[in-house]
Amino acid sequence: MARIVVVTSGKGGVGKTTTSAAIATGLALRGHRTAVIDFDVGLRNLDLIMGCERRVVYDFVNVINGDANLKQALIRDKRVDNLHILPASQTRDKDALTEDGVERVLGEMAEEFDYIVCDSPAGIERGALMAAYHADEAIVVTNPEVSSVRDSDRILGILASKTRQVEQGGDPIPGRLLLTRYSPERVERGEMLSIEDVGEILAIDLLGVIPESQAVLNASNAGQPVVMDMESDAGQAYDDAVARFLGESRPLRFVDAPKRGLFGRLFGG
Amino acid sequence: MSASPSSVQAVELKGRMLLVSVLRVYDTEPQNLSMMLAARRDEAPELMRDMPIVLDLEPVAEAGEAALREVVERVRAEGFRLIGLQDGEAARALESADATGLPPRLSMGGRGGSGELPLGEGRAPRETADQGASGEASAATQSASGPVAVHSATRVVDQPVRSGQQIYARGGDLLVTAPVSAGAELLADGNITVLGPLRGRALAGVRGLVTARIFCRRLEAELLSIGGHYRIAEDITEAERGDNRLVTLAGESINITES
Repeated sequence: MARIVVVTSGKGGVGKTTTSAAIATGLALRGHRTAVIDFDVGLRNLDLIMGCERRVVYDFVNVINGDANLKQALIRDKRVDNLHILPASQTRDKDALTEDGVERVLGEMAEEFDYIVCDSPAGIERGALMAAYHADEAIVVTNPEVSSVRDSDRILGILASKTRQVEQGGDPIPGRLLLTRYSPERVERGEMLSIEDVGEILAIDLLGVIPESQAVLNASNAGQPVVMDMESDAGQAYDDAVARFLGESRPLRFVDAPKRGLFGRLFGG
Repeated sequence: MSASPSSVQAVELKGRMLLVSVLRVYDTEPQNLSMMLAARRDEAPELMRDMPIVLDLEPVAEAGEAALREVVERVRAEGFRLIGLQDGEAARALESADATGLPPRLSMGGRGGSGELPLGEGRAPRETADQGASGEASAATQSASGPVAVHSATRVVDQPVRSGQQIYARGGDLLVTAPVSAGAELLADGNITVLGPLRGRALAGVRGLVTARIFCRRLEAELLSIGGHYRIAEDITEAERGDNRLVTLAGESINITES
């Protein structure tokens, strides 16, 4: 059975799709059979970031509607074995994501993959709810600024009450924080919230901190997940995050003047 | 999940726990009874006003049905909202004489006055006509002191209360052992205690209990309210913010002190 991971944030433009692509690619690079699904029906970004936009024939909605089967719609990544992409439809809207349909597709995928990464759309509406509903755990992507933190907090509240696991009487799914576009210099100048500030407000475990980096933009433009650019700081930071996701313990990098006590607390949970 | 526009239901059957206070009567003497009822009620008038009450007459089952009926009327007259009679000898005696205007018999588990409630009998609440019964005045004597049960549970929340979430402790206190985020809202008919930073809104005594208090381990609230009086974040000074703050209402002003 696959483990279903939702990458979510509430706020748009904080790096959900970049993160979904990087985490999925990182998992596949470590040999796990991984699929990444674009839940942002109507907008469709994941295939661009993954560099497979010219190979899209069928999409997620086609599979839900039974126009195509899963095999036809899944796009095999050319660079990384074990990595598949299920793109979103650009011609439909999020109402096309039916509860039964999503459940059936995820159920079918769960037999073939070790990890299914769900790239959530922004907002707290249907698309985001559907992406989160079946998840076993969540990665909450947050930028170090107040509105992003507030939205992440909201999403954490929704995750605590609106997942299948909770509705079936289970515990809320675990959620971990991925702080993206972090600039230690701007934090020092007081222009940005620190890891400490964000950690204190959200009070969840920290999965990683991705520095603000030109490499992310370059990677997006090239259609290559940034985690494959191991020369770059962002690539390495994502690699660390994937390692931590899989239970490895790695120190934070690219965060200047780390304050041990707090990190210990964040990781210790 | 909530996003399911296709299935709009007209009705929904859900199991819910209802906290019910049982008012046990040990004395049917009208004056004594009225006095004690009034005293109970005045302890927390706002809280009692709509509180569902089950009346337990079993300790005075011998008093005769006229006296019992008088008790029922008197309890109602003092403003308590009767939703049932504890099943037992007294309740059945009352009902067999004249069921008009009586709340339904309820079996509240365990401690019936007669001790030998036949199972399956009298469990289902019945419809009752809603006319006031003609209770002839009648009396018995004794003092009804301590044992009137007024119970209000504290609602305990151990998870962080996130932006957009609202938690209401109806009929009692609220205890949150985790952080309360900006954009979250806590409401309680009684007191509110937050053993973490309070960054959202906290409204205590929302049904008018002006003696309600709010305590938080760290005060960074957006809004504080007690018994309908409130202060917004802008009116809370830097000095008032901080650790271990107690919020009380004095007259019409919200006071914040370190405790």
